[in-house]
Amino acid sequence: MGRYVIRRLLQMIPVFIGATLLIFLMVNVMGDPIAGLCGDRQCDPATAAQLEKEFGLDKPVWQQYLTYMGNVFTGDFGTAFNGQPVTELMASAFPVTIRLTIVAIIFEIVIGITLGVITGLRRGSPVDSGVLLVTLVVISVPTFVTGLLLQLLLGVQWGWIKPSVSSDATFGELIVPGLVLASVSLAYVTRLTRTSIAENKRSDYVRTAIAKGLPRRRVVTRHLLRNSLIPVVTFIGTDIGALMGGAIVTERIFNIHGVGFQLYQGILRQNTQTVVGFVTVLVLVFLVANLLVDLLYAVLDPRIRYA
Amino acid sequence: MLLEVRDLHVEFRTRDGVAKAVNGVTYGVDAGETLAVLGESGSGKSVTAQAVMGILDIPPGRITGGEILFQDRDLLTLKEDERRKIRGAEMAMIFQDALSSLNPVLTVGDQLGEMFVVHRGMSRKDARARAVELMDRVRIPAAKERVRQYPHQFSGGMRQRIMIAMAMALEPKLIIADEPTTALDVTVQAQVMELLAELQRELHMGLILITHDLGVVADVADRIAVMYAGRIVESAPVHDIYKAPAHPYTRGLLDSIPRLDQKGQELYAIKGLPPNLMHIPPGCAFHPRCPMAQDVCRTDEPPLYEVDEERGSACHFWRECLHG
Amino acid sequence: MPEPMPPEPYPSGGSRVPEDGAIAATGMGGAMDLATSEGETLEEPPVGPDGTGRPERARSLWSDAWRDLRRNPVFIISGLVILFLVFVSLWPSAIASGSPLKCDLAKAQEGSQPGAPFGYDGQGCNVYTRTVYGARTSVTVGVLATLGVALFGSVLGGLAGFFGGVWDSVLSRITDIFFAIPVVLGGLVLLSVVTSNTVWPVIGFMVLLGWPQISRIARGSVITAKQNDYVQAARALGASNSRMLLRHITPNAVAPVIVVATIALGTYISLEATLSYLGVGLKPPTVSWGIDISAASPYIRNAPHALLWPSGALALTVLAFIMLGDAVRDALDPKLR
Repeated sequence: MGRYVIRRLLQMIPVFIGATLLIFLMVNVMGDPIAGLCGDRQCDPATAAQLEKEFGLDKPVWQQYLTYMGNVFTGDFGTAFNGQPVTELMASAFPVTIRLTIVAIIFEIVIGITLGVITGLRRGSPVDSGVLLVTLVVISVPTFVTGLLLQLLLGVQWGWIKPSVSSDATFGELIVPGLVLASVSLAYVTRLTRTSIAENKRSDYVRTAIAKGLPRRRVVTRHLLRNSLIPVVTFIGTDIGALMGGAIVTERIFNIHGVGFQLYQGILRQNTQTVVGFVTVLVLVFLVANLLVDLLYAVLDPRIRYA
Repeated sequence: MLLEVRDLHVEFRTRDGVAKAVNGVTYGVDAGETLAVLGESGSGKSVTAQAVMGILDIPPGRITGGEILFQDRDLLTLKEDERRKIRGAEMAMIFQDALSSLNPVLTVGDQLGEMFVVHRGMSRKDARARAVELMDRVRIPAAKERVRQYPHQFSGGMRQRIMIAMAMALEPKLIIADEPTTALDVTVQAQVMELLAELQRELHMGLILITHDLGVVADVADRIAVMYAGRIVESAPVHDIYKAPAHPYTRGLLDSIPRLDQKGQELYAIKGLPPNLMHIPPGCAFHPRCPMAQDVCRTDEPPLYEVDEERGSACHFWRECLHG
Repeated sequence: MPEPMPPEPYPSGGSRVPEDGAIAATGMGGAMDLATSEGETLEEPPVGPDGTGRPERARSLWSDAWRDLRRNPVFIISGLVILFLVFVSLWPSAIASGSPLKCDLAKAQEGSQPGAPFGYDGQGCNVYTRTVYGARTSVTVGVLATLGVALFGSVLGGLAGFFGGVWDSVLSRITDIFFAIPVVLGGLVLLSVVTSNTVWPVIGFMVLLGWPQISRIARGSVITAKQNDYVQAARALGASNSRMLLRHITPNAVAPVIVVATIALGTYISLEATLSYLGVGLKPPTVSWGIDISAASPYIRNAPHALLWPSGALALTVLAFIMLGDAVRDALDPKLR
């Protein structure tokens, strides 16, 4: 187990370097890193040259990358367009997005798994077909459309929620945005649970459990669910990283000042340090979530042996 | 009789039509007796057993007729909850593939102990102690330690012993073993079969042994029921059948066993394939493959003729078969 | 099948063994995950009931699937919707008169009326005409991006799976890197500086970030196909690599790629609209549902119709492709038979 963790950690390193380098290159090659530093105006050539020297932009890209990463590991993520350190932006943005992600994950677990179990146990029934159709529709409607529609209905027409989230972004305010963020994954968790339950329901060990004379409830909870939820739990685990990175659209619709909002601002203003900094953290979150999921396997499924 | 199946009919509704898996099976087993049910895959032997246990998948399966009398009660008229209490406690089943039949994410101790927790209301701790006793009884070494292990940590033979232990746990009156040794190495097969027979004698249980292996049957069975296309085609005490089969299908099965004294000769094989259960041939279902088939076999379905008091054959020409 | 099927060692639903060294991938965002994982269930090609595979199996798999599909209402309906969309993309003027770019500010935000059944948007453009013309953009982007991704991804993944070794490991690590980048984020970064108003940068971006998904599917199905007994036999008989790939492996590995590509087509259309909504995808004067939805969102209180019609068209299009892919997957998945 210990050796496995170390091996996985070592394997994460090239992925981490590759992904951050890729983003670093994209931002540097495609954009003008100092464009945002003089406010909304164009920098005059003298200032530009001075800024370039100050940020080491006259050096080759790979050297810039190394310098940048070196700084990152000492906790220095650079400066944002408004002169604030990027770490300060992170300190205000990440808690908001983490709350949003938690709400989304809770929706996935509670609604997704419940619907999946119900439909999986009653495969082919009207309930099953109905839920299945709804999941397809949810998957098909792009998140930004779902978000705009919910905002229109709940926020504008019925007045159940405020159309935009305050800067506090409390859990209560994040319920609807969380549902929007979760929607596609939610539909997917439902389908995955349904398939898994339906497949395991026909398995030999469930037949054995019935032949042992166990009550139906016990067969389902102790034997069927335990096995069927393994892929679902792991999907939800890996989804954490995807949700945090995919929150841009939801945060824009509901005007939530989280990670997506800051990234969007950073990209519009071509602020290299903000974008690369946030992406670096998101990639790390994604990799760590994946590692944890792999380790979770061993806990959930004793057949998995890490050699 | 401990168990009597009477004129049982089971069919499966699939997208492509109705498959008639069991078409009027009648058999019985007494306490302490071993009945071997013999047949190719698709003959309905496992489906009949699943109907008896009440673990048939419904739908697509459906019991369309017949009775299953267990200790003189018709199981088919019982409520599901009453049947559930009989399952596992009064009758138990051993499956072919122990690896897939045991829950991969629970320890064997949990799975064995569950019988006592559910049916006897024991605490988990007491149930665990009983699980160790059971494992000792089926001669699994170091039971105390291995009770905490998962099924995949055991060898094939040991896993099948655990299945047997699970079936024996509450000392049921009837055990149904569905091809219990098919998935095992030949060397282990004999040991497992011996264990099963020994426990059956000790507890004086009825045993229904479902198999396609005539070799296994000869040593342990008292009676044999041969099934073909969802019907019993021959039913007889074991020594009678080996001496002289009264049905051409049974004869075909016996002739296709390799024998040491016929070295060098070509091995006999029944020609053709088992019938499609959606289109069972009219008349005798075996007639397209039968070397003795006459016109009457294509039109008239043979009843189970009484050969003698203990013996029946569903062949119009059982006399010719018996003496030829 | 009256007798229970011969039991498999462990039902696949309950056990997902992590691929050696691979990092489970969902960085592409929800919709793309669906395509990946739906495809994964297909990675194991069908095996006959007796556990043997034969070359002609591929053909009967397809004809069986086709027989199933013709009877499946989901397939027929989604197929008809897609045919209609293709027709509209090719000849939009057949059902909509006038130009989508002709707008009259005086009519801004007006509701349904003769000649403009869907009303007018905030700029006074005819929503019906724009919705009809928007289909062309979406279908073009979807089809071209899918073709690019499928070609690029299956060639790279297929070759890596077939030859294995160092290149396979390198490719696996590269796909891991791409999976670690959230797709909308990548789009924002890459496309925010593009000034071209053609569809090509968007398609190029989708191919760039989409290929690892297909490549992983193709790699998996080639590896599974390679292990089939008859392929091993062909190898033992001295068949050349190219012959093995073309005659024995491709026919059996192509099904999962087609299914995932069909579902992915829908998600690419959705992704194009999302990027256009964020202001980095297509740019006016290109007519795109995403642009129209984005433009309509500030007027959502007064003129919701300008948002609802293109949204509806977008959702229906994506739904049609996803349902088509779903139906094809069900038809090709022997486990559901």
